[in-house]
Amino acid sequence: MRQPSAPHYFEKSRDLTMHDRSTGVSGGSVSSSTSDLPRLRTELSAAVQRARNADGGWAYHPGKRSRIEPTCWALLALAQTNPQPPDLDILDRWPRHDSWLIDVAGAPPNHAFNAIAALTLLQSPSTGTLAEKIVRLLIASKGVPLPPDPAIRQDSSLQAWSWVDGTFSWVEPTAWCVLLLKQRLARGPYPDALERVRVGERVLNDRACRDGGWNYGNANVYGKDLLPYVPTTALALLALHDRRNEAVVVRGLAQLERDVLSERSAVALSLALICLRVYGRPTSVPEQHLTEIIADRHLSAGYADDLLGLSMALYALSNGPLRAFTVGAA
Amino acid sequence: MTLPSAGPRHLSRRHFLAAVSVPLFAPACLWRPYDAGSFSVPDRSSVGLFPAGDYATDFADLVFRGFQEMGANVKGRRVFLKPNMVEYEPGTAINTHPHLVAGTAIACRRAGASEVVIGEGPGHRRDIEYLLTATGLSDQLREQRIRFVDLNHDDVQMVRLRSWFTGLRELALPVELLQSDFIISMPKLKTHHWAGMTCSMKNLFGVVPGAVYGWPKNVLHIHGVPNSIVDLVSTIRPHFTIVDAVTAMEGDGPIMGQPRHLGFIAMGSDLVAVDCTCARVIGLDPAKIDYLRSASRFLGVIDQTRIDHRGEALSRYATRFAIVPALEHLRAVS
Repeated sequence: MRQPSAPHYFEKSRDLTMHDRSTGVSGGSVSSSTSDLPRLRTELSAAVQRARNADGGWAYHPGKRSRIEPTCWALLALAQTNPQPPDLDILDRWPRHDSWLIDVAGAPPNHAFNAIAALTLLQSPSTGTLAEKIVRLLIASKGVPLPPDPAIRQDSSLQAWSWVDGTFSWVEPTAWCVLLLKQRLARGPYPDALERVRVGERVLNDRACRDGGWNYGNANVYGKDLLPYVPTTALALLALHDRRNEAVVVRGLAQLERDVLSERSAVALSLALICLRVYGRPTSVPEQHLTEIIADRHLSAGYADDLLGLSMALYALSNGPLRAFTVGAA
Repeated sequence: MTLPSAGPRHLSRRHFLAAVSVPLFAPACLWRPYDAGSFSVPDRSSVGLFPAGDYATDFADLVFRGFQEMGANVKGRRVFLKPNMVEYEPGTAINTHPHLVAGTAIACRRAGASEVVIGEGPGHRRDIEYLLTATGLSDQLREQRIRFVDLNHDDVQMVRLRSWFTGLRELALPVELLQSDFIISMPKLKTHHWAGMTCSMKNLFGVVPGAVYGWPKNVLHIHGVPNSIVDLVSTIRPHFTIVDAVTAMEGDGPIMGQPRHLGFIAMGSDLVAVDCTCARVIGLDPAKIDYLRSASRFLGVIDQTRIDHRGEALSRYATRFAIVPALEHLRAVS
């Protein structure tokens, strides 16, 4: 008989309560300071390195198979924080179909995660060939268009990026692909890349929520405005950060700063922190909250289960420029 | 709250032919999009409607008694509970209540389950840490020491579908779900602005892994929401369902609707019969809901005269839910 395992999400009793959306980054306080941030970085880095699978990749959760997304985030985070960054050979050796990196044999290539992989590969000059192949594939990939639907307030004819082939364009894969192509264009021209970036930007504009920010990709259904999410808002803003004076970006950034503490998780706070750092905005309060969540919920509770969240947090709390998320004007 | 399919536009020729083959050719050659020999619809099914006035109810006791009444046997089984957890907004009725989920886990242990695992793969939000803490389910997991599996990010295995209403032949499904031997679908009863109603069958959208197919699980919309529901149910074949109809959702569900108190939980092993009963409770005609009509051909009972009610009579809870205008045609004729 198998015994019940420890719960995956175990919170201490002194864990933070849900934050009032109206308080925003300037309000609220936590008991801990960030004075022990270097020690936390060291612990986080050790936890991420310990979680590496024998094949050189990382899973979403310990004991599981290596997957593209957590592997890329771990590589980015360790490259950001370690004097001896890991090499990216694991991505060169990753199972492929054509040149797509594949997580699961028989499953369709995931455009968002291939974009993250190419973005990771672009950080190292030695792995540029594979990155170029993925860029070429992504430029040729388009979400399917749909005719106008009165139930949904958006331009569904726009073809940016879907998660997988044969489906519709959504915010997260579009944001990752726009970010990737902007990084690639910063290194030199690439056929059709700029045109695809412009379509991606139009989709992100089109799908923005009324009061700013983004959710997964529907802003209004049956006349009702849907609310934005912190992680997708941060990603879309990162993709558009060379357009910081445009209204949709200004509204989105204001929304993110207003709501950043309303979603208390490693993933949401990490992406928000990366975004706010890239935009040069104040970060001390979300950084404090992320530090406390990581220390109390993810490391101190005796398990470090959410490997994606840990790597994102390690990256977000690192020193130095966040090159993987910084682009010039496209 | 996700974009519906508008048909097989811009698909490959192979996918297009697969998608249209069912309606085009089925009448001509009586071809069924399922292996009829693998399924049998029972002559009769039982559906339990058990009163639960609020979420302070002792759900462990209620569900345990419900198992006995409905003949559910989890002894020695590795039980997988699949609640409905999509979004979080305070004061709404979007998700299966954590007290019912935890109470069911306790009831399963009391009934001799070898292990109880709770798992969900939210279709909109991929941040499970946020959803678990915001909904309060994390408190229940901690107090009861129940393991939770994020189905969006679990290891997956390609599984051959057992029906082909979508035209798909296989889907990646989470290993933790496939390794369990007693699956309980635990939906919140809600109207659904694309599918008509979300209940035990529609709830299975949450097992499709987002880390493979994305958020929302658009591959299911592209191939038709009703078709996808039927293919998932026929392939996964949950053993039982426990429906949270204590406070349900009416209007523009499954996210933007209004809470509506009903005061019961529904239970049964025939998911089609349970969902048809819940449809009748909220004033919809199950025969007008595409996926229930399709499922009744080979998965379960739709005919009210062949459904035995345990607990309370359907008439005790029968009402008329508000629905979006586009779904008015689904109403039962009174």
